[in-house]
Amino acid sequence: MYHLLSGLYQQLTRKDEYNVLILGLDNAGKTTLLEKIKTLYNPTPGLPPDKIAPTVGQNMGKITLPSTILQFWDLGGQRDIRLIWPRYYDDCHAVAYVVDAADRERLEEGWEVFENVLSAPQILDVPLLLLANKQDVPGSMTVEEIRNHYEEWFQRRQREHAAALGPMSPTSEVPTAERMASLNVQGISAIEGTGVRDAVNWLFIRVQNSRQRRDGNS
Amino acid sequence: MGLSFSSLFNVLANWGKEREVRILMVGLDSAGKTTILYRLQIGEVVSTIPTIGFNVETVQYKNIKFQVWDLGGQSSIRPYWRCYFANTQAIIYVIDSSDVERLPTSRAELLTMLSEEELRGVPLLVFANKQDIKGALKSGEVSEQLGLDKEKGRQWSVRGSCATKGEGLEEGLDWLVNVLQNK
Repeated sequence: MYHLLSGLYQQLTRKDEYNVLILGLDNAGKTTLLEKIKTLYNPTPGLPPDKIAPTVGQNMGKITLPSTILQFWDLGGQRDIRLIWPRYYDDCHAVAYVVDAADRERLEEGWEVFENVLSAPQILDVPLLLLANKQDVPGSMTVEEIRNHYEEWFQRRQREHAAALGPMSPTSEVPTAERMASLNVQGISAIEGTGVRDAVNWLFIRVQNSRQRRDGNS
Repeated sequence: MGLSFSSLFNVLANWGKEREVRILMVGLDSAGKTTILYRLQIGEVVSTIPTIGFNVETVQYKNIKFQVWDLGGQSSIRPYWRCYFANTQAIIYVIDSSDVERLPTSRAELLTMLSEEELRGVPLLVFANKQDIKGALKSGEVSEQLGLDKEKGRQWSVRGSCATKGEGLEEGLDWLVNVLQNK
């Protein structure tokens, strides 16, 4: 009887853990976002933005949501450190890619890196959220502008690829359109916290959905 | 059952006490561990001699009391580091960033230490020390050389520092305090 009840209790209070990777170029605001998430969802506040130095290493943060634990991994974004990202792809359940919407000059570099992440086979079926950070900065690009910029960059890159391969190369128009439609872009200000809860909610719902799909398949 | 009582007892016994955190500070000899320790404790640069054995001091930082164990780094005494691993809540690993030649040794010692069961999941702060010396590797380069990319289960951070000038030390501790509080 005891075991029955305790089993039932455990079943009811079971919490699934999901890993969310926070990626992006250096200075995009990944650690600030992570610390903001900690401050919003946990009793002990995270580091204030003025105490955050460029990350060489790995920060983690755990938040508890209904029947779910989200474990965030914030990895350094500098060129050398990006090499370690792929090690985390195997057991990640969602990716939040952060771009600095106020830094137009580095956007293209950001897309190159983004494209690299997307092309990893492990990431293919994983929910992906693109965050246009620093919306609080005057003159920063809006969500729509960011999306258009990425689309234009991507089309241009496809054309260049096609030109390099010659006229007989297969076109990959359809997957592109599909991917654009499924790509979710949200605006946030990690410093002020605007949009952060929306982003977490989105991740929360999407990892739940992918679990259900997985359970349904098995 | 006995276990849960004793842990309950521990919680009650520690009620109201200031939080004390046991930190191991290790690294090769002449990396600057003892200088960092006293810089943190009394805010001054003391003249040090190579540590045989260990120094232990309590450093009050924010609302946390750090009990820092500074272990001697010479090759003959490195095997004894493991005697201090139990109950460690954080590791500070100090590297002489200008000593490029011995970086592989430093890396090997670090990775051996991290593979110990007793230190599993313990957060790691690496001070890439002696940044004031010309030719010193930057924190990014040090992290690349250390190959910490297999350390998925723990939080880690590599910080440039200069113990004699006191640069980078507080920033590193801020990071550590944040990690320990959110654990």
